[in-house]
Amino acid sequence: MAYQASRDPSSEIRVRTYLPDLAKGLAVTAKLFFRNLFGTRDPNVEVVDREGLSRVTTVQYPEEKMIQPPGYRGLHRLVPREDGKPRCVACYMCATICPAQCIYIEAGEYETTDPSNESQVIEKYPTRFVIDELRCIVCGLCVEACPKDAIRMDTGVHTPSEYTRADFVYDIPKLLKGPPVSHPSDPWNRRQGSAAPAHQPAEKHARIGDGRAPEGGHLEAGHVPAAALPATSSSPKTPPAQVHHFEK
Amino acid sequence: MRRIGFVLFAFSLIVGAFAGVTAGGYVLGGLAEAHLFQGAHRLVMLLILMLVMVMVIATLLTAAERKWSALMQNRIGPNRAKLFGSPLAGLGHTAADVLKMLTKEDFIPAAANKALFILAPMLAFGSAFALFAVVPAGPSVEVMGHTVDMVVGTPDFGILYLFAIASIAVYGTALAGWSSNNKFGLLGGVRASAQMVSYEIALGLSLVGLMMTFSTVQLPQMVGEGLGQGQFQYVWGNAAAMGEGGGFDIGLPAWGLFLQPVGFLLFFAASFAETKRAPFDVPEGESEIIGYFVEYSGMKFGLFMISEFVEIVVLSGVITVLFLGGYHLPFGELWLRSLPVMQEHGWLLGTVLGTVFWLKVLALIWLQLLIRWSLIRFRYDQLMSLGWKVLLPLGLVNVFVTGALLLWDPTLQWMTGLGLLVLSALFVLSVTGPASDETEETAHGASDHDRDHGDTPSNLGGGAKHTLPDSHHADGDLEAAARAAASLSH
Repeated sequence: MAYQASRDPSSEIRVRTYLPDLAKGLAVTAKLFFRNLFGTRDPNVEVVDREGLSRVTTVQYPEEKMIQPPGYRGLHRLVPREDGKPRCVACYMCATICPAQCIYIEAGEYETTDPSNESQVIEKYPTRFVIDELRCIVCGLCVEACPKDAIRMDTGVHTPSEYTRADFVYDIPKLLKGPPVSHPSDPWNRRQGSAAPAHQPAEKHARIGDGRAPEGGHLEAGHVPAAALPATSSSPKTPPAQVHHFEK
Repeated sequence: MRRIGFVLFAFSLIVGAFAGVTAGGYVLGGLAEAHLFQGAHRLVMLLILMLVMVMVIATLLTAAERKWSALMQNRIGPNRAKLFGSPLAGLGHTAADVLKMLTKEDFIPAAANKALFILAPMLAFGSAFALFAVVPAGPSVEVMGHTVDMVVGTPDFGILYLFAIASIAVYGTALAGWSSNNKFGLLGGVRASAQMVSYEIALGLSLVGLMMTFSTVQLPQMVGEGLGQGQFQYVWGNAAAMGEGGGFDIGLPAWGLFLQPVGFLLFFAASFAETKRAPFDVPEGESEIIGYFVEYSGMKFGLFMISEFVEIVVLSGVITVLFLGGYHLPFGELWLRSLPVMQEHGWLLGTVLGTVFWLKVLALIWLQLLIRWSLIRFRYDQLMSLGWKVLLPLGLVNVFVTGALLLWDPTLQWMTGLGLLVLSALFVLSVTGPASDETEETAHGASDHDRDHGDTPSNLGGGAKHTLPDSHHADGDLEAAARAAASLSH
């Protein structure tokens, strides 16, 4: 006896004769057809909020685009400073953390004899900053790793198509875009004429040896007083640090 | 409002095109008959009906299928290939398809049987195309003093021509699979041939009842050229009492749908399987299974695809002629024919009735597309058992019942009564019953209950937690959780 492939348990007449349920299925599709044929599509990108006779759920890209949630990762960009140079200080944090190893940086140093005195505030800058967009996996770790808010993925677009693989390797001119950004914690935002920077860092406990007097004149509990330490090559009492003001 | 206006405008364009081509066919046929030899109008009909109407409709159907299936699936369909700046309802994509198929590399596998490889798409396409030669698309009228029939050929064996040509289509499929020298293709071809052969029997049997009813196998006689012949008669109507007066005739026309509904359903289902169209498209599969045309590329493959669309049109034409009364109006035709303007200008009557024919064909094409995009594919064993165990016995029963009823009552009234009974029983079963509520809910659930899908994981979690302590098997967990989720989501 051949193997009974389908064991149809239902003996209800509508199921056994196929046709009634078939007709109902066809009625559903036909109803959708006429609704969508005679109704106009509501172009609301929030598809669940669409109203009207038509049930069409299409969002006509690129004329209509879906709303991107905040923090949506798109194409990278380097954030410029007020003077047009990138905020990046070539610290290699992004290149180190990138899982796809798609960032290549070459660092350069500002000469101390630089007439613009930039080396007084920032020491390094990227001479080459290259991202291979084909390797990028759009994870956003570089944005999280950057301490200077120098790289962002907020452009809202994705990598546009190119004709050769070489065109996907973006360098500084292709990456540097957007309005200049300046944070109060930036070294060049310290107010003129004040010995201390305008922005106090959050940590209350200051490290020994950076020239700042600890709060209250005494160390926090648990720390050995400086005088009790064995004498080391670095003297515990250093002269107060020179705060360099950036003259704009 | 604009949208409705646009849709109605597009529809009126289609109707106008049908009427224009039909009128042109009649006029050209009359001219050919007058100036060339007698019977030359059949050649004109070959050009107009088959080359112009069927081929153009099949080509436009490739675009229409995409748009209409998109509308049924809550999408828009292709609208990006623009011709002259406007998407033109997807016709740019059709043009792109044609160009693509013509310019693609047309290769033949190294060890393939070259002659059969090239022959196979020709057989598939040619047989689909040639089926339309016996279908009368309009009445026979007098144009410029000569009789013009809107049909290419009227052989004595009529319907048997359809069965013969449909059998040749099997050759195309089998040869395509075998000559590709590809094991997967061979299996696909064998599968397709088995399906087509098993449904050919149901195809033939379903029409035997119709042949007995109208006592003829010739299609023009089945459609009915004169009152009282074929489907051009009223089972219960006022035509006989009217005389030549010109009153409006109304009644139940003797269409095959009312006389032989079982035959209609059997023939419809069997023809779907013959054309390998969903839900019987296991041989094609389309992205799921390798079919018999795996080694074909370029226009050879294009011929297989276009033959499928040609078969849709041809099939709709055949079903219209056999079961929907061909070019006849359901009521009022005698009144139309008795109008003086119609009697004077025969081609005008031909145009009106020819347009009616093509509108019925359009409705059937739409129905075929609807069925394709609503029903899931049959499994191969379900398909074969349907053909042999359901359609074949039903066809035989239909033949016997029809014969018995015809013996008892040759005036077709008992048969129409039984036919109407069957139709109304199906209708009542469809609109009533417990199964209707479930399908309604799941149908509306598609778009209204999208947000519920987000809740289902939490339901599943809740259900699983409840069943976890007392069940040992992982399957029991999943089953119970699934049942709980199903009951919760309902």
